[in-house]
Amino acid sequence: MIEVPAIGHGIGLRTEHYADVLATNPPVDWFEVISDNFMEPGGNPRRVLRAVRERWPVVLHGVSLSLGAVDPLNERYLDALDALAREVEPAIISDHLCWGSHGGAYAHDLLPLPFTEEALAHTSTRVLRVQDRLKRQILVENVSSYVAFTQSTMPEHEFLAALAARTDCGLLLDVNNVFVSAHNHAFDARAYLDAIPVGRVGQFHLAGHSQAGALLLDTHDHPVRDEVWDLYAHAVARFGAVPTLIEWDDKLPSLARVVEESQRAKKVAREVTRVAR
Amino acid sequence: MSRADGPTLAELQRRFFELVTGPEDVAKELVTRGLSEGAVADIIAGDARASAVERLDVYANMYFFRILDVLREDYPKLLAVVGDDAFHDLATDYLQAHPSRHPSLRFVGAALPTFVATRARERPWLGALAALEWARVDVFDRADAAPLTRDALATAAPEDFAALPLVPVPASALVPATWNIEEIWRALEDGRAYDPPTAPAAPGHAILIWRRGVTVHHRAVASAERRALELLLGHTTFGALCAALGDEVDSEEEAAARAVEFLGHWLADELLAAPE
Repeated sequence: MIEVPAIGHGIGLRTEHYADVLATNPPVDWFEVISDNFMEPGGNPRRVLRAVRERWPVVLHGVSLSLGAVDPLNERYLDALDALAREVEPAIISDHLCWGSHGGAYAHDLLPLPFTEEALAHTSTRVLRVQDRLKRQILVENVSSYVAFTQSTMPEHEFLAALAARTDCGLLLDVNNVFVSAHNHAFDARAYLDAIPVGRVGQFHLAGHSQAGALLLDTHDHPVRDEVWDLYAHAVARFGAVPTLIEWDDKLPSLARVVEESQRAKKVAREVTRVAR
Repeated sequence: MSRADGPTLAELQRRFFELVTGPEDVAKELVTRGLSEGAVADIIAGDARASAVERLDVYANMYFFRILDVLREDYPKLLAVVGDDAFHDLATDYLQAHPSRHPSLRFVGAALPTFVATRARERPWLGALAALEWARVDVFDRADAAPLTRDALATAAPEDFAALPLVPVPASALVPATWNIEEIWRALEDGRAYDPPTAPAAPGHAILIWRRGVTVHHRAVASAERRALELLLGHTTFGALCAALGDEVDSEEEAAARAVEFLGHWLADELLAAPE
């Protein structure tokens, strides 16, 4: 099981909003930062982060641990993450169930894994190593995917549940990613959520997606879609009101608009938990 | 669910990565590599909505366009000079020669200036323009430091002046420039027409790039100041600076006067860091 910090509803700290965040003190509970963008010890990003951290809890979300890659774990990246974490004292550290490099070259993408025992054993070893190095549990997030591998022997939710059981890591459930992948691979999104063990989920992500031909793409460039709000309500009913992040990265609107989306998430979570009580 | 056999995880990642990061879309990449569509269908399940190749192509497109976007942001002037189509082709070739070797996208364009310099034979100054753009990106991210002020300097006793440490702010760099590209940079910044340089710059020409607050500045420096700046960027003292300048002028007084003149410029630029 994992400890879930009761920090509420957050938004991403994005460069375009730095000045607004510091000047307007927006009504959000916490900020998420992409760890990779704050690893240089000096410079403007780290200065803004320090100022934000004085006022809000911060969670660190990474995109480059490459937990499922066959390439060796990047120990320098892990050292930089550890140093950042010691300075920021984040409420949560997370990365993705994916791989992103091969032969030392980076794709800068969250590439999907086959759901096989080999991949599970490999990823488990690396999650254990990361947690050992950081001396804390991490959350591992489900990614959106556009391909499914013919050799997979289990569904994604089973893979995630097994990973959590083997490594004692937590799970970051990206509700939009579940929705996108469910569409792309024709599985039932609610059944997926219902198969994830309660007590392992430490954070939700919500984001907008777009349609590209027959597939949905996880583009983070729209408001959260209505169907994803419904799925979020289902997730809150099952897992409780765990910390929830609104992710908005492209076609970024005003800070106020992102805050509004976060307040909607808070309202949805409050309504669901009130009914449940 | 399907079968447990098939390629190892390492083999699957190799095949996936090669097809996704190739210079062409996945279908053409398969042809180039002498592979059939079966090589993809073997590992990826397609369906009536999208074939295995089409699905893998989503990743190939995201790979290229994500990096292209970063390069366009890092090199807006180079992009403006060569145009969208040529920049697209340049990025394609660049990624084949220099795949990203750092987990952060921030460094993906680091080798583009050198790459451009080796290709742009008709416009040999493009490499220098790209080098200036990259230095500006790099300096923007460097650490902050409080600048040394005239007032702080005034408190130093005259007898301590020779040993006075001169330390640059971390957000500073000196880029050798074989071409005068500051004019072109400025014209592009202001949206004006420009005349491409026709002859290389004078020997020793360089560009100083540094950050004040959140704004990156640059200026051209002539060879005398360049030598002084090289000393400064390696960390020096006022006495060592005077001694080095003494090799170029007739008297110690003249060397000291020149050192004071440079010091004045650097203080005004906020190029010097205050002692910690």
